[in-house]
Amino acid sequence: MNILIGTILLWGLVGLTWAKLATPPRRREALAATARLAAFTLPRLFVAMIGAALLAELMPADRIEQLFGRDAGFRALLLAALLGPITPGGAFVSFALAAAAMKVGATPAAALTYVTSWSLFSLTKLLAYEMPFMGARTMGQRAALSLPIPLVVGTIASLF
Amino acid sequence: MPNDPAPTPDRRKIIDGGFLVLLAVTLLAAGLVAMKYGATHALATAVGALGFLAVLLPKVGAGLFVAAAIPLLLPREKVSALIGQESGWRGLLLASAAGALLPGGPGMTFPLAAALFAAGADIGATLAFITGWSLLSLNRTLIWELSFLDWHLVGLRVLLCLPAPLAVGLAARALIGRRERPRP
Repeated sequence: MNILIGTILLWGLVGLTWAKLATPPRRREALAATARLAAFTLPRLFVAMIGAALLAELMPADRIEQLFGRDAGFRALLLAALLGPITPGGAFVSFALAAAAMKVGATPAAALTYVTSWSLFSLTKLLAYEMPFMGARTMGQRAALSLPIPLVVGTIASLF
Repeated sequence: MPNDPAPTPDRRKIIDGGFLVLLAVTLLAAGLVAMKYGATHALATAVGALGFLAVLLPKVGAGLFVAAAIPLLLPREKVSALIGQESGWRGLLLASAAGALLPGGPGMTFPLAAALFAAGADIGATLAFITGWSLLSLNRTLIWELSFLDWHLVGLRVLLCLPAPLAVGLAARALIGRRERPRP
């Protein structure tokens, strides 16, 4: 259901963009850019989807409950925040793993901490894009200022 | 590629370090699953993932087109002028919103952030832009997050993260901005 809603919204946006592009040369340019982006994204997506499913199989269900369940408290959030940056691959991997962990007993707060930490500090993004484009200094400043965010999000979420 | 003035590095290497790490982790996981549950189970898991991928593909196709096409529609100078100057709350809000709304991955966001920074955006707006993209990217939430996580949970996360880009921007201005801003 979620997938269907997102798909419909995005195709609506595609229609709008297509209309805005207006002329055939600009549309061709957009399609060429799409093809380049697809060549980069699709192989990653293919491998990452399989990888995420396999990693979810390896998740020891009893340990997840113990490490990230109701009784684990703040330590669970801290651990979840540490796992975010080292998750390989794109968004699909972190979201898929968070969903799988919740199925076997992780709290929503731990899942949100993990996803937020990945969003802010994924090492793939930091090392491959942020450092080359922004420089290590600016990257470090951003990381330092953002450091508390995953824990704040997780702590507030655990109150619900 | 003719008629391509955009400085966005679209022609990224398809097989790079990140991809190899991903591949290695996947193969390792496949090996471990095969050892633990047998090769048949590992294969079935992989096939199941491909089935899910097939369900996602229409959405992914649309997302790729939007991410690739919207930068062509945005007048770069205008965007840069709007959030490029030290424009108080309005600049931070605009930068955060731009980060959240612009589709595209890190390969588009970080070059754009670097360009804005170089063009005179202050550290606060630049970090608000990156943080807005990191936490609130609409494109990613629609394509990926809602495919895996319940919308209640996604809504809670978005709500809690909403003030974060502004907070990071304000903190950057207070702590770093005044001292380091290079005057043109």
